[in-house]
Amino acid sequence: MTVTNIPATPGAAAPRDGARPPGGKSAAGGRPSGERARAARGRLANAFGVVLVIALLAGIWEGYKALGQALGDRIPLIGLGFPVSTDDLSMPHLSSIIGALGEPASSGDSVSLGMYLVGETTVTLREALYGLTAGALLGLALAVLFLHVAPVSRGLMPWLVASQTVPLVAIAPMIVIWAGKADAPAWIAVAAIAAYLAFFPVTINTLRGLKSPPATQLEFMRSVGAGRRQTLLWLRLPAALPFLFAGLRLAATASVVGAIVGELSAGTGRGIGRSILTFAYYYSNGPEKLYAAVLIAALTGIVFVQALAVAERLALRNRPTR
Amino acid sequence: MGEPAIISVRDVHKVFNGHTDRAVTALQDINLDIGPGEFVSLLGPSGCGKSTLLRVLADLTSPSQGEVTVNGKTPRAARADRDYGMVFQQAGLFDWRSVQRNVELPLQVAGAPKDQRRAKALEMLELVRLGEFAKHFPWQLSGGMQQRVAIARALSADPSILFMDEPLGALDEMNRERLQGELLRIWTDVRTTVVFVTHSISEAVFLSSRVVVMSARPGRIAASIDVDLPYPRVAETRTTPEFFAKVKEVRQVLHAAESEQAPA
Ligand SMILES: Nc1ncnc2c1ncn2[C@@H]1O[C@H](COP(=O)(O)OP(=O)(O)O)[C@@H](O)[C@H]1O
Ligand SMILES: [Mg+2]
Repeated sequence: MTVTNIPATPGAAAPRDGARPPGGKSAAGGRPSGERARAARGRLANAFGVVLVIALLAGIWEGYKALGQALGDRIPLIGLGFPVSTDDLSMPHLSSIIGALGEPASSGDSVSLGMYLVGETTVTLREALYGLTAGALLGLALAVLFLHVAPVSRGLMPWLVASQTVPLVAIAPMIVIWAGKADAPAWIAVAAIAAYLAFFPVTINTLRGLKSPPATQLEFMRSVGAGRRQTLLWLRLPAALPFLFAGLRLAATASVVGAIVGELSAGTGRGIGRSILTFAYYYSNGPEKLYAAVLIAALTGIVFVQALAVAERLALRNRPTR
Repeated sequence: MGEPAIISVRDVHKVFNGHTDRAVTALQDINLDIGPGEFVSLLGPSGCGKSTLLRVLADLTSPSQGEVTVNGKTPRAARADRDYGMVFQQAGLFDWRSVQRNVELPLQVAGAPKDQRRAKALEMLELVRLGEFAKHFPWQLSGGMQQRVAIARALSADPSILFMDEPLGALDEMNRERLQGELLRIWTDVRTTVVFVTHSISEAVFLSSRVVVMSARPGRIAASIDVDLPYPRVAETRTTPEFFAKVKEVRQVLHAAESEQAPA
């Protein structure tokens, strides 16, 4: 299930001439209360939609499995086999996947699998967060650099684009080796891999955002004698904020992927990526454990992106609704 | 005009894309003096160089030839000193700032302390009669209100000159006439020199103490017409014979200038 429905750019400022007569009773600086209620209703509808989709996916999983079991994994008349066989080893029941979360992580263990996976997830999330932070800062700095020094932009941009087309599986081991040579702890290599994936969408989107103010606004800044720094600080950066968040959402998912792949390459002892690898290795002993780990990994990504969405809503709360 | 000019333009030419085959002479042989406290309209058909002339005065573009002084300085120095305020056709307010913080912006650029900024912004918002909307955001206001905020913003750093490029051009007729009245009231209050670009004859006559008529291709000054209707001018002024006579006079000059240019 994907929650990354990300437009490359927030749409151009919509015309809103006289569209919103200021309601006298609106909270200081806030939106009129009717609009607030509408937003709350919208959020409720969203939550309902999420639950519906989860229920639907669960239904498909169990329905497919039940059908396969009833038909012996063969499509009647055509006689073709089911693409994925539905026995408990290939497709454990959802109940046993969920149930596995409550059972000991490994035999004789006092920690439940669920708790164990949450612990590993925390490790991965931390790596991803470090990577995202470093990547976002680098991405932002590059965007500002590109804005102000056009030759740098022309010279460096093709290389940045190229850097993102090199497969991660080729890059990750290199970063791990470099980090090892520098005696850096493994999590630094993992965070660096996450940052490597995270910075690019931030740079591209932020650069667009920095260039988004209309000529009138730029000329206004000029007319009041504002210099480059003031124009950047008070016009370009605030105008770029919605674009930055669009980039950050892409970067957040990328940083989780980077952290998971990074864990596999770096040979770290911990993290959800490491767990997935381990449970894949011992798959026949407990297939539901692998599914549980993948489930948690997916939830991790969702939580990460959702946390970012909350930050975005807060940061952009005073902007016109698009 | 006996007083020393606050704005003086000497032999200004402006050519866009010179040295290419797409060269456009936007301004030719412009000479203009504007005294302190005048309300001067630049009137002419679209494309005759009104905006270009205003932008030369405001140092948003530089002349290809000629001399310009604003407040006795180069336009660049005048801009750096915030000697003028500017209002464009698009209000261009910043969505993420409250109305009050939008008005504070020129003072913030000037490095004024916060409480001083706030006091001045509120004073300016009172001036344009939007005091109670200080905490609103621009997108919550109508187009006319946004333009009044833009005027308050242009005036907040106490400029001695106000440059306006078709500031009411995007408004409907009703709002437009109301804001013309507002603008005159504000002008009598703050007593800045105003240079106002418009292509509306009646707007130019109603507002200005002097109408500078421009003609196109190349952009030139065709005539300068004093408007001796007494201030304060009110809604009823628009229905007086004197007003009609002035509108007629300006229209004739404008059309004469045009037919002289383009044998169409
Ligand atoms: N940046 C520019 N580059 C090239 N030509 C321009 C530019 N700005 C204005 N012009 C040209 O100069 C002439 C005058 O334009 P402008 O001053 O905008 O006219 P007005 O404001 O009277 O409508 C027009 O022919 C226009 O096409
Ligand atoms: Mg114009």
